[in-house]
Amino acid sequence: MVKNEEEYLKNDYNNLRIVRTEILFTPLLVLLPLVIAGFLINNWFFNGFSKGISDYDGELMLAIIILVCNIVFDIPFIGSLIHFKKK
Amino acid sequence: MVKVKIVEKLEDARKIINSIEYDPHWYRRVFHTFSASFIVYYMLPKLYWINFLKIWIPVAILIFIFILEYLRINGKISGNHFFGLRMYEKKRISSYLFFGVAVFFLLLFFPQQIAVPCILCASIADPIMGEARQRLGEKKVYAVGFLVCLIFFLVTWYKAELWITLLFSIIGATGAVIGETKKIKWLDDDFMIQILPAILLLVIWFCALYLGLNLPDPIIHPGIISW
Repeated sequence: MVKNEEEYLKNDYNNLRIVRTEILFTPLLVLLPLVIAGFLINNWFFNGFSKGISDYDGELMLAIIILVCNIVFDIPFIGSLIHFKKK
Repeated sequence: MVKVKIVEKLEDARKIINSIEYDPHWYRRVFHTFSASFIVYYMLPKLYWINFLKIWIPVAILIFIFILEYLRINGKISGNHFFGLRMYEKKRISSYLFFGVAVFFLLLFFPQQIAVPCILCASIADPIMGEARQRLGEKKVYAVGFLVCLIFFLVTWYKAELWITLLFSIIGATGAVIGETKKIKWLDDDFMIQILPAILLLVIWFCALYLGLNLPDPIIHPGIISW
């Protein structure tokens, strides 16, 4: 945390706007990649897997990459939002 | 009396929000992984009006962020409206603009087979390398970054012949790691991690076409989102 305070543009005044903006953006940042991954899985399943076409397997692999990586980074991000520490 | 209480409560709420310890670290990381969503571009169906929008919406977004960044650097818009910026970005172009420019070039001017893994390198490999740098040390960053980028290129090129897949993947992953780790003052790593491997692969791509080699089809099929 100390390191971040040195690295990032941050002061008492902009904290207010920063946190508010961060909270407003959170649903978009977290949900959109999951939706995109869902579209890819949907396409793989209905156009590829159910018809026995392997051409769509790459989309499944991309979906898994996007899904797993986003969830891995979303968890500590949401955790940092939930654990509001007061001075 | 009621008005005074409301004002006091609003002031209290403001103090509470101001007292929150905000950690921009994870915010930047999630912003990176979120940008993997840009590949939705390739899911859009090939209709005339959508093809038109696929060119002009990225152009409009790019112009908008250029203007925004110009106004920020010149102090016309307060830096307080921007979040997660690093200290060194105070007086220079921010990383998000470099990222946007690189994605713009990749989506509009590069084949999907090259653009998709390069965007994944910037959006996913970059934050993984950042975490690896903090947890494992500088030396292991290169190995971790190379491995992650290699996976992205292998996944995108798995349909090609094995030696072509390996050639493109190794060169692409090497270019991405060099682009990420070798920082230049006026050229951000978010730009280099995408454009350096893309240019290297584009040269090989044209050589392969010239030699008549079979290159794989795009991995993402358009038309997933029906209207």
